[in-house]
Amino acid sequence: MAARPEPLKVLSVCGVGMGSSLMLRMTVEDVLKKMGVEAKVEATDVSSARGMQADVIVGQGMHTEAFEGKAPVVVAITNFMDKDALETQLTEAFKDQGWLE
Amino acid sequence: MTEDLEGGVLAARARRRATDWRDAVHQACAPLLEADTITDEYPRRCVEMVEEHGPYVVLAPGLALAHARPEDGVRRLGVAVITLTEPVDFGHPDNDPVDVVFAFGSPDADQHVSLLSSLARHLVAGLADRLRIAVGDHEAQQALEEIRDDD
Repeated sequence: MAARPEPLKVLSVCGVGMGSSLMLRMTVEDVLKKMGVEAKVEATDVSSARGMQADVIVGQGMHTEAFEGKAPVVVAITNFMDKDALETQLTEAFKDQGWLE
Repeated sequence: MTEDLEGGVLAARARRRATDWRDAVHQACAPLLEADTITDEYPRRCVEMVEEHGPYVVLAPGLALAHARPEDGVRRLGVAVITLTEPVDFGHPDNDPVDVVFAFGSPDADQHVSLLSSLARHLVAGLADRLRIAVGDHEAQQALEEIRDDD
């Protein structure tokens, strides 16, 4: 189990990198703040994300599939407004990584 | 109805009919085209984005945010929204059918950040439902005006 990187490098991805991924970035920032996790969240498009290093990648399932195994944590969301669901998904994934007790 | 927004435009239209998702995206863009914040290339590019990258613009159940890139024909910042009497399918695995379609265009990669963060906050706080119950354009416009309040 590795120590959690601080700050955590997080990418929120979508097709263009300036609409949905930006909305998602705000949700991710709010949730990580509530979880007390220090993170730097960047919104980007899928093709740019392929060339970037990240600890966590968050996006819609149709986009995150391509990133399975490319980052320690890859989370697929369906509703960017559902902060509770995202918190649950991130908490479980972080525990799997040994990043949370 | 349109209102100036730091040189850009906010526009809402309620209870329109759309034949399919492509028509809905074009109708959502229409107020921006009329206000000249985008060129007629932009709605076509918004449709192509979905065709190329999938229906990721459907961000939540019933809600889509159509957009393309600044270089696809944006002159000024603008956000428009239409609500639909008959929802349309975008082909999204979880969030279809869609009855609230936003369109936005930003002239560069930065101008829209505070506006979209405000939009995101208000959507989390129930803006989509306030738009859904609006029976006319004026009422929908008043609901959309919320997003200009905070920065």
